[in-house]
Amino acid sequence: MLAQQVANGLVVGSVYALFALGFTLVFGVHHVLNLAHGSVCMWGAFIGLIAVAPDSVFATGPATPFLPLPVAFLLAMLGGGVLGVLLDLLAFRPLRKRHATEFAALVSSIGASLILISLAQQLSQTRILRFPFGTFPLQFFRFAGLRISSLQIFIFGCVAVLFAGLLFYLYRTSFGRQVRAVAVNERAATLLGVNPSAVYLQIFFISGALAGAAGVLIGLAFNSVNFLMGEPYLMRAFVVVVLGGLGSVTGAVVAGLLLGLIQVLTVVYVSSGLSDAIIFSILFLMLLVRPTGLFAGLRRDVRVVRG
Amino acid sequence: MTGWLLAYLPLLASAILDCGFAFSQYVVLRAGVFSVATAGFASLGAYAGALLTMRLGLPPALSLIGSLVVGAAAGALLSIPLARLRGVFQAIATLAFVQIVLSVSLFVEPVTGGALGLNGIPQAVQLWHLVIFLLVLLYLLHALGGSSIGRAFDAARQDETVAVALGISVVRYHALAFTLSGGIAGFTGGLYAFNRYSLVPDQFGFAMLVASLAAVVLGGRISVLGPVVGTAVLALLPELARGFAEQRYLLHGALLMLVIIFLPDGIVDTAKFRWRGAVRGNAAH
Repeated sequence: MLAQQVANGLVVGSVYALFALGFTLVFGVHHVLNLAHGSVCMWGAFIGLIAVAPDSVFATGPATPFLPLPVAFLLAMLGGGVLGVLLDLLAFRPLRKRHATEFAALVSSIGASLILISLAQQLSQTRILRFPFGTFPLQFFRFAGLRISSLQIFIFGCVAVLFAGLLFYLYRTSFGRQVRAVAVNERAATLLGVNPSAVYLQIFFISGALAGAAGVLIGLAFNSVNFLMGEPYLMRAFVVVVLGGLGSVTGAVVAGLLLGLIQVLTVVYVSSGLSDAIIFSILFLMLLVRPTGLFAGLRRDVRVVRG
Repeated sequence: MTGWLLAYLPLLASAILDCGFAFSQYVVLRAGVFSVATAGFASLGAYAGALLTMRLGLPPALSLIGSLVVGAAAGALLSIPLARLRGVFQAIATLAFVQIVLSVSLFVEPVTGGALGLNGIPQAVQLWHLVIFLLVLLYLLHALGGSSIGRAFDAARQDETVAVALGISVVRYHALAFTLSGGIAGFTGGLYAFNRYSLVPDQFGFAMLVASLAAVVLGGRISVLGPVVGTAVLALLPELARGFAEQRYLLHGALLMLVIIFLPDGIVDTAKFRWRGAVRGNAAH
């Protein structure tokens, strides 16, 4: 029973981790909270669904399959990435030029999020959509007393592959080195010949693509695609990034898995109604006790010392 | 003519309540605190007021004082741990506070009625009460803004280091801003409860947070008239552009982005700066 819950928790947690990866990446490099990340994730699910079965969005009749799921998955990532780039160009770049405060960037991303949510609401006519039955070949395996579905394996595998790809990009390529340079000090990186605008575009593309992938996985896992689906994940992403350390990629993955476990275990052993209260209390306490997260080194600029 | 006016009275009542919440957001932003806790304070105040009357039988006037006290106390308590955090981390912590209040009010069903909420709250607050409330609040905040407290808030917002160097205890003024924000939101929440018959936890979630933030950003964070203008724009926009009723959030979102990019000080404060600049320019000639 406990082992089964741990397995379920790790799968849920891997989705949280994937969502939070893009969120924390933007914060780590750009030092802004992108509150439109949930809406990009939601649009990823919509794009995936449109690619798999356009009828289920645009018509009401029985859905005829259009593209296979792997293609739809890639299209959703591409679409999410393009949305991320648009976000950077329209919502963040004008503010960056002006050296505006983090408050301005936050408000701008809320505005962008409202626009994206409103467009999706009109497209879906406020309906809750589903991937057609049989989009994913669902099978169940018994393994050491656990019951694991092929979908759970697929989700966990996707997240693992994307995380490995991101680590490779950040730590083994020249692009990644530029990204890390800008994250540490934008001015110094510029002096060394790095073009920060290009770095920001890349980061927003990757962040959006990861959100798009997360959207499809969430839509498949919970069999529901709707215009408000991003918001609960955005709220949980706050918990994940604070637990893992804002801006820390590895921290986000570990904390995402941890949050999945905490959530599943509190639902089973405490109460489903209290699960959210517990999660957000952990976030609150974490901010007070160790605002740099469990895994990050102490960063100077987190706290102020006042007289 | 009267029929037309009557049709708009409910809109006016809800705009005044929105304005109260916007003022709660305004006070913290003016003091340079990056808090978004307004929705949580409002929820506490609304439930406190409604429960005091419905369960303990207090008259609504006393219950409203209860709302004020509960909101202000929550603000004061929250300010103690949050004084240690800055910027974005303060925002995340207050967001967590809003989520905690929301999920707890959904959970304690015997007290709050859970997801179905509280129904049949006596409608003790009429429109004219709300108008008086808004005028009094405007006066109080205007007086506060012109006093040493207002100047300390401005100093703390513009540059904390300078404020500390001038002998202003930033921690204490931030605590004051939190308490005021909590008190205003709590009291407005109580008015909301006694004006609306029913309360549901979801009303005090992310949507309310965004709405009050949007009103302050649109109107302006410094002048007292800012939140009023911001709320008015947000309330009137869907009425003026009836054809865009479905695109309401689209309009709000676009407006937020345009204002923060092109008019970062908000409508009222930008107008004020321009006006002052023009006056000075004339004087120089």
